[in-house]
Amino acid sequence: MQSTAELWSALTADSEKFAQYVQALRDIDGRVGSFLSFSPQVVSSQKTGSLSGIPVGVKDNIAVEGQPLTCGSRILENLISPYSATAIQRLVAEGALMVGKTNLDEFGMGSSCENSALGNTSNPWNLDYVAGGSSGGSAAAVAAGLVPLALGSDTGGSVRQPASFCGVYGLKPTYGSISRSGLTAYASSLEVIGPMARDLQLLKESFRVMAGLDSMDQSGTAGSCSSDQTNGTIAVLELDEGVLDAPVAEAYRQAIDALEALGHPIKRVSLQSLNLIVPAYYTIATAEASANLARFNGIRYGMAPTFAENPAELMRKARHEGFGDEVKLRILLGTYVLRSGFQDQYYGQAQKVRTLIRQELAAIYQDASAILMPVFPTQAFKKGEGGMDEYRQKTADVFTCLANLAGLPALAIPTGLSGGLPLGMQLMAPAFGEERLFALAKELEKTFPLETPEGALDIGSLQ
Amino acid sequence: MSRAHEKYDVFIGLEIHIHLKTESKMFCSCPARYGDDPNVNVCPVCMGYPGALPAVNERAMELGYLVARALGCQTAKTTSFARKNYFYPDMPKNYQISQFAEPVGLNGMMEAGFDDGIRGIRIHDVHLEEDAGKMIHAGDVTLLDYNRAGYPLLEIVTEPDLRSGEETEAFLRSFQRLVRYLGVSDGNMDEGSMKCDANISINLPGKGLGTKVELKNMNSPRFVRLALNHEIERQAKVLDGGGSLVQETRLWNENRDITETMRRKEAADDYRYFPEPDIPPFRPDEAFMAGVETSLVELPLARKNRMAQEYHLTPEQADFLHDEKSTADFFEETVQAGADARTVAAWLSSDVRKLCNREQISLAQSPLTSARMGSLLNLISSGKISGKIAKKVLDMVFTENADPEAIVKKQGWTQISDPAELQTIVDAVLHEHSAVADAVRDGDVRQRGWLMGQIMRASDGQAAPNVANQVLDKALGL
Repeated sequence: MQSTAELWSALTADSEKFAQYVQALRDIDGRVGSFLSFSPQVVSSQKTGSLSGIPVGVKDNIAVEGQPLTCGSRILENLISPYSATAIQRLVAEGALMVGKTNLDEFGMGSSCENSALGNTSNPWNLDYVAGGSSGGSAAAVAAGLVPLALGSDTGGSVRQPASFCGVYGLKPTYGSISRSGLTAYASSLEVIGPMARDLQLLKESFRVMAGLDSMDQSGTAGSCSSDQTNGTIAVLELDEGVLDAPVAEAYRQAIDALEALGHPIKRVSLQSLNLIVPAYYTIATAEASANLARFNGIRYGMAPTFAENPAELMRKARHEGFGDEVKLRILLGTYVLRSGFQDQYYGQAQKVRTLIRQELAAIYQDASAILMPVFPTQAFKKGEGGMDEYRQKTADVFTCLANLAGLPALAIPTGLSGGLPLGMQLMAPAFGEERLFALAKELEKTFPLETPEGALDIGSLQ
Repeated sequence: MSRAHEKYDVFIGLEIHIHLKTESKMFCSCPARYGDDPNVNVCPVCMGYPGALPAVNERAMELGYLVARALGCQTAKTTSFARKNYFYPDMPKNYQISQFAEPVGLNGMMEAGFDDGIRGIRIHDVHLEEDAGKMIHAGDVTLLDYNRAGYPLLEIVTEPDLRSGEETEAFLRSFQRLVRYLGVSDGNMDEGSMKCDANISINLPGKGLGTKVELKNMNSPRFVRLALNHEIERQAKVLDGGGSLVQETRLWNENRDITETMRRKEAADDYRYFPEPDIPPFRPDEAFMAGVETSLVELPLARKNRMAQEYHLTPEQADFLHDEKSTADFFEETVQAGADARTVAAWLSSDVRKLCNREQISLAQSPLTSARMGSLLNLISSGKISGKIAKKVLDMVFTENADPEAIVKKQGWTQISDPAELQTIVDAVLHEHSAVADAVRDGDVRQRGWLMGQIMRASDGQAAPNVANQVLDKALGL
């Protein structure tokens, strides 16, 4: 049987089939809305390599030379990136095709893709539901079969949560293992580019290609995870009753059972710092965002008002008109927590929580190979008014933010369906333990085979 | 010292910025170069494009440590960057990457010579940062040039240990000399490679610091002196009249010779510093610090004192010779090659200096090398040319860019100082004018001078006067 990579490679190498593919993609995406821009002409630059001919959807906050870099924001609506992210360059060097840019919550700030100023993405499993966020466009594109591989960025769960909502694999790698050069910064000390795929082998290969030190990103890290001395023990986070929606709680139990059935000793653990995670995360993320987003002022690129009395007014107008409400809220919060005299109370305190979390997790990894926990307390929620309010969306980030605060790798794994919508769990490993996560996901693949939403693009039909 | 100084204590502290001499910018590989067309030396990093990350220029780091070391600072075992947040149109990221909690150097001291002797001025800290672009207002539009954005800057902050405009000017000149000696910066205030803001307060004696006023827009050490002295008088007048001073920033208006209010400070600026997450802390290893030690040179003041003592120079000569490192090096090289120190000093501080001024070049740029200087002095001491000819030769070294020997030879300016050769000339002259010679021998010594004139004429003026005199006297039996 041909591998996923081989099937796609054969498809994109044939111009006639490629044209059919492009048409099918456009038809399906008319409903799903995963792409903000689509540039299928890049097929001519096909190179040979381990990702030869693999079309890749790229979250629109990652720079691809010559393609838009909107970050889902009005303020960058017309920006064409003058350069490519290091991760993109490495994928392209292995023959991958950057076919388009996918929707996201503005600057990565959100959990639904509804904070995008430029697109409306639906969950391919049910178009009335959100795809999740902020990398919702990438998750939806992969789930709908439009591309076999897509890139997201994970600042507080932005790869794993939409992956889980859409029923695909989503990896948040170890902090610094993939260069951030070319990833539009939201919260620099927390985020990392991560791949999403339905095929584990492809996910793994794309990570291998993108990872590694880069002179353009001095915050990069490299290392390896010591071998597992725990007999494959999986730590399971004990949660209070009612924290999870019933289907997610049931899926959690099933995942524990599945791992146990696969021969993994299960160790129940609790996290003292659990209630501190979300406040610490939002303090650090907004503080860094307030500085990171200061560069968007309408002067050198991006949206500028048609008239301004002076440079100061130009900047004010551009930011007032260009940013959405959620972005403004987070900039204000971040500016507040960084005020002189308040830093110890907020930013300094949050950094201490971060240290505490790292210590607690290090203790758990003494006796466990990985930690299992839910990705999000709910499945995908409804779009619009009937959905989840912004505050609840933030508190629900607790399980995903953990890996970002600690800088650890975590993999969202699809674990079936409930009510026609996907379920997902995540496994979190010590730093540089990505291989461990891939191996565990491979084991679970038999228990939880991947499901495909109705109406997804079937490349088999194009062969 | 002014009248104000009799009544008040004056406290002046400086914030000096220097552009570091590096090939590339602080955080990207764009050239750090002046004078190019606007917005050509830019890239996604220094233009603050989304996703672009800073990468520290290691050369700038070395130069930062070198200055910190030269200023006697505690050099940081760990140094880190921070974001200084404020909006300004010419600052691409709207935050400046600077250093805050862990600068490259802390608690230093720089000695400088003042009217009342040498005194140490305490250095609060030395830190690295990046420059902004340049904003040009042209009619009703504002233009921006980002070539300078991201240029490596080193800021040196002193404690308020200076007491007058004169002292501050002297300190700044010493500081300029120091950074030029180290080769870290051109230190030119008029070209913008060095900038100096001052803070000044005055108070009744013993009362400590007064209300701080910041002064900006002073584009030369001289303007710094004028602005500070103006400000001291202004503040003294306010206090004399029973008024109180306002904490504010004032600008020096060089056309009107006064300081003017720029903005009042209600509260301290809040730059919301926080650690730069894109750049990990830097911990210099032994090799790095050894490299810094190797780059350290003898500092200007120490060199001046040593040279004055070692070579018995006059204070003026020592002052002149140490001003530029290249001049001091030139001097010592020439001396080490065997020339007499005071003779070299005399030539450099008079004739050579005049020629450099005439040609409007520095000694280092001039055609005169220490080897040429040495050979010129050698020609004099060996009697091959006279001091008078030597001045002409020196001039031609400057105009012809040639070696002194070659000039002397080409111009035929060699003195004849071989007694045997002169004997032949003297004999010929005495033979031709035997009557005059006899008269001199008989005691009419007044005519001896005339004979000497004939000898000079016969030798085309090349006879070495002292040797010719001896040979003539001997021939006349005097």
